Amino acid sequence: MKAPTSADADLAAVERVLAGDVTAFEEIVRRWQAPLVNMAWRYCRDRGRAEQMAQDAFVRAWRGLAHWRRESSFSSWLFALAANVYRSELKRFPTETLPLDAAPEPSRPASQHNEAERRERCEVVRRAVLALPPRYREPVILFYFHEMDLAAAARSLGLPEGTLKARLSRARALLRQRFPHLNEERAAIESSALVTGKEAAQ
Amino acid sequence: MNRAKAIRGEEDRAALSRSASVESELEHVLATEEELIPSSGFLASVMERVQEEAARPAPIPFPWKRAVPGILAVAGVVAWGAVDLIRSGVAQPGIAAPSWLALVPPHLSAAAVLPVESAGWVALALGASLASWLLSRRLAGRGGLL
Repeated sequence: MKAPTSADADLAAVERVLAGDVTAFEEIVRRWQAPLVNMAWRYCRDRGRAEQMAQDAFVRAWRGLAHWRRESSFSSWLFALAANVYRSELKRFPTETLPLDAAPEPSRPASQHNEAERRERCEVVRRAVLALPPRYREPVILFYFHEMDLAAAARSLGLPEGTLKARLSRARALLRQRFPHLNEERAAIESSALVTGKEAAQ
Repeated sequence: MNRAKAIRGEEDRAALSRSASVESELEHVLATEEELIPSSGFLASVMERVQEEAARPAPIPFPWKRAVPGILAVAGVVAWGAVDLIRSGVAQPGIAAPSWLALVPPHLSAAAVLPVESAGWVALALGASLASWLLSRRLAGRGGLL
């Protein structure tokens, strides 16, 4: 998820906060609230909890603002900090997830005819990510959160890119095993959409 | 034979293409996530917590300079106690002495077997109590014995 950001604006706001202007932090929160809430959502898939976790991340950022070394961008620092906060929060109170093998299999193509069902199936797949072992779960969450930017995800996780790549590949393999009919479902949706379109045209 | 090979090759290719297409669908599902918009009160609640944090007095740093002598003294006493314990164990027949114990001065070993040893421990305990009492008074800003 790309944030509407300007590194200079972040830096200026941070300088003001460090000089004692508490209200300047509001500017930072305003700019980064959506990315941090969305990131938290991908960790727990619970809206209320995601906001709570994002709030904790902002408070932690406030406390640690003086420790931000300007070597990396503010966003990299903030995402890495948020990832730490979310990870420890979920360690303390894990989300309720079914084991990967017990996650419900999406319904077969024959019954796939509407948008709501399609959404539900996608949600099943996304929730299955939360059932992955932790070392594979977080790379998947952050890789797709950062719009498949491997370097950004690696920075947020504090891992070398090669390690992240290997973990992503293993995570995909686990998900592929779990959902072997995913492509058939999509094909069915597309063909049913095509038929519906043709019928509507006629 | 060749036909069997060709069939196997085709099956492999089909499996590979199926796997690639599952993967691309996975990519599609995971990459297309609807964006959440934070609730209207989110910003205000974060700033409220930040204001609370800002109003809180800064935490008092741990007084390392003052604590170091005490920590060293405690470490010394513990080390001495450990050495003493091992030496008294060594004094029993059938237990071999560690080679490093040979480095300990002989007068210490003599002291360890003196009958007044327990009196020494009592004196040490009293001394430690006095020292900690004086230190606490000093840290509280009061000098003198009373």
